[in-house]
Amino acid sequence: MRPRLARAVPHRPRENLLATRKELSDFLSSVERRAFKQCVFSVQDEDTALDLVQDAMLKLSENYAARPREELPLIFQRIVQNTIRDHFRRNRVRSAWTSLWSSLGFTGETDEADPLETFEVEETGSIPASPAERLEQSQVMAIIEEAVQALPERQRQAFLLRYWEDFDVSETAKAMGCSEGSVKTHCSRATHALAKVLRSRGITL
Amino acid sequence: MNEKDFGERIRPWLERSAGSVGEIQATRLRSARLRALDAWREPVRLVGFVTVGAGTARMIKYSILQQGLLWLPIALLLATLVAKSLAPEVDLGELDAQLLTGELPIDAFLDKDFDNWLKNASGSF
Repeated sequence: MRPRLARAVPHRPRENLLATRKELSDFLSSVERRAFKQCVFSVQDEDTALDLVQDAMLKLSENYAARPREELPLIFQRIVQNTIRDHFRRNRVRSAWTSLWSSLGFTGETDEADPLETFEVEETGSIPASPAERLEQSQVMAIIEEAVQALPERQRQAFLLRYWEDFDVSETAKAMGCSEGSVKTHCSRATHALAKVLRSRGITL
Repeated sequence: MNEKDFGERIRPWLERSAGSVGEIQATRLRSARLRALDAWREPVRLVGFVTVGAGTARMIKYSILQQGLLWLPIALLLATLVAKSLAPEVDLGELDAQLLTGELPIDAFLDKDFDNWLKNASGSF
């Protein structure tokens, strides 16, 4: 389990709890890839995901430097979730204008993303013993990524925050801006949906 | 298998997935991080009351005392302006003009002090 920043911090004056540049750097370095993958799962486009992560990092650095370091994970996740939401809002407005434009007889580009689009995996973290195992591992990872990506947005957020970011129910609710009951419901549905997909693909974890 | 166990088993795969991010994406993430760190500024104590970071003015949560201190100069300025506007204006130039043109109200001539002053003043002309 990943060590939590929020735990086991002895009582010190508030100034000593504020994140230094080095701590912020370490924190961002530890979360950037996970945040990127979260964004990829949501927006299904790597370039857009990179832009969103960059926006989130900038917002954290510019606006929350005076916050205690143990608050950074929650604040950052909240920023990431809001950034993703803003992206979808902008897209919705843009697509509304595009459809209006099309209905008036003008043609425009429409990029329909396939929610079940598989994610390309080039290599794995640990090198398996044989090429066959490597292949199998990359296939399993692709299936898991595909299944996670296919989850409804809120279910995926809840699942990733709870079981990847290691947030508790209360922290997840704060990051998602919803009730703890909703978090539990989303998590439960996400878990069952994932288990069902993996079972149907013959994968046992 | 319960939810938590399932989540625990999925996590290593997700970690592996994050670890398999391509070189180009990793480089872009690193440069995004460095850009964000460039924007970072040392938090400062504002007037000894509040600690703020760069660009966090809107995040500052003042206490009632601090808000009072911030509003004090404006309140003093307003109070001075109101006091000045309410104070009776004695425009001596206006009074002289009225005196010379005989536009003074009758009450002015019934005022003994004014009569005395007029006599004394006329002696000096």
